[in-house]
Amino acid sequence: MMDAGPNITAIAVFVAFVSLSLFITWWASKKTHSAGEFYTAGGKITGFQNGLALAGDFMSAATFLGLTGLAFIGGADAMLYTVAITVSWAFILFAFADRMRNLGRYTFADVVAYRLHPERMRVLAAAGTLTVAVPYLIAQMVGAGSLIETLFNIPYLGAVMIVGTLMTIYVVFGGMLATTWVQVTKAVLLLAGGTMLLVLVFAKFGFSIDTLFQRAGDLHPRGRGVFLPGVLYNDPISIISLGLAFICGTAGLPHVLMRFFTVPDAQQARNSIGYAVGIIGYFQAAIMIVGIGAIALLIGDGEYVDEAGRITGGANMVSIHLSRLVGGEVFFGLIAAVAFATILAVVAGILLSASAAVAHDFYARVIRKGDISDDAEVKVSRIATVVIAGVAMGLSVLFQNVNVAILSTIALAVAASVNFPAIFLALFWSGLTTRGAVAGGVTGLVVVVVLIILSPTIWVNVLGNANAIFPYAYPTLFSVAAAFAVTIIISLTDGSERAATDRAGFPAQLVRSEIG
Amino acid sequence: MSDEADILADPEFQRILTLRSRWRWGLSGLLIGAYLIWAVGGIYYSAAYAAPFMGIALPWGMAVGLVIIALSIVLSIAYVRIVNRLEAEEIVERDKHQ
Repeated sequence: MMDAGPNITAIAVFVAFVSLSLFITWWASKKTHSAGEFYTAGGKITGFQNGLALAGDFMSAATFLGLTGLAFIGGADAMLYTVAITVSWAFILFAFADRMRNLGRYTFADVVAYRLHPERMRVLAAAGTLTVAVPYLIAQMVGAGSLIETLFNIPYLGAVMIVGTLMTIYVVFGGMLATTWVQVTKAVLLLAGGTMLLVLVFAKFGFSIDTLFQRAGDLHPRGRGVFLPGVLYNDPISIISLGLAFICGTAGLPHVLMRFFTVPDAQQARNSIGYAVGIIGYFQAAIMIVGIGAIALLIGDGEYVDEAGRITGGANMVSIHLSRLVGGEVFFGLIAAVAFATILAVVAGILLSASAAVAHDFYARVIRKGDISDDAEVKVSRIATVVIAGVAMGLSVLFQNVNVAILSTIALAVAASVNFPAIFLALFWSGLTTRGAVAGGVTGLVVVVVLIILSPTIWVNVLGNANAIFPYAYPTLFSVAAAFAVTIIISLTDGSERAATDRAGFPAQLVRSEIG
Repeated sequence: MSDEADILADPEFQRILTLRSRWRWGLSGLLIGAYLIWAVGGIYYSAAYAAPFMGIALPWGMAVGLVIIALSIVLSIAYVRIVNRLEAEEIVERDKHQ
């Protein structure tokens, strides 16, 4: 089925998307001069546009392709992910939206550095950003490379070059304005494509949710057992860890947090995340229905599933196969092109956040201590973008065969254990000191890395040991707890002069964070 | 600085601060609590989770999961409206001050 040659619709839709995105970049480049315009589109994005862009940041190929595949394999358990993702966005709205927007300018580092030691906190935040952004970029690009190889018959190296070059062009020339509009375009395409897929799948069952679930239960090798929870994880620690990885991790993703600053004020920040919750929630629910529909349709059809019940081309291909089955070659081409567009838009946002961490937080604020012209800072950002993109492309070629899930786990776990505790305590706890925040951040990072190495994903699957020393897939319950504990204990026992300044700064920060 | 001390001491500001934090932690706690209870509950009540939901083949566990997704959306809309209104009050209050 897959060797039928390049799909004309896929190529046409993809070329149209790339042309439109390059046009957007050209348009944005004429409006992008200052550092504020480069990092945050001058704060002129509206709440609704930003809501779409935020939702787009999270509706990556990993969620669209990965979660449908997971629903196919894990059945009901895939919902542990989709519900956690939606709840995490509502939590970001309640806890972070207002205060972040009122305190920050370009990056989340502005917020953690507000009353704490500016240089030390920015070094920590920049390190936290890069340890999230680089594995995330590589995960997306490796996934993109293999996907494009399968869908368009383009060699892996060529696919990585296309994705890497396009994301660099968007960010270098169009900054946040181009990145946002490319993301908005893709979000609309993905929502439209996903909704069409949902409707077409539903139509196969006469729009009856009863028939759809009945058929899935009848056809699955485990029968109605596919709806039993506990297939992927069956102990409370794994499940709580997974929940924390998404709830705290999403709230610590630098490219998501950066979008708070692209709107004019706290009210628009709040509105935009409100829109994002609605869009993401709808999409997550749709993915679950499509995934269960895939069980009924793909197993029923037989053409896409081998004797052992495995899906041709791997679990990530579930929604792609399904689109061909329910919508024919044209719809298949559309979905394939949208999946490609999704990856492009997501990597551009991550790249921009990494470049802001290096150029703004590290170079302009720490090395030059703020003594740098606007023009020079934008120039440094553009150089940083090219260098980071080059490194990510190189590493994607080197790590072609690495398990993408490991990289995504690392990125999310680091965001939850390093960035999240620092931001959370900086916003809400007057007792936080610089020494505490730095000690907690370093602890979080070390615990995450050590536990992931000792976990089944690396200790067993990569290093070939029989049993994992740390038996859980996600380290977050332990690493987040350790980071919080160390931050709080060190802050409480911190008698330094700086600690007094840190604590004394809280009332002023509180007023600013509430009224802007 | 004294401006900020003034605002901080203002009972109206304190009232709004308390209200906002009540909504912030109340809604966060409600949703995260609902998620954790639902997620961990699946291990202990798996048969009930897989049972058909009110006569249709949709399993109970997934139906409740969909409800938590819907609840996240509804509470988010409610929060945005409540806080937007509180903020409008706050601005009126601040203007009276000046």
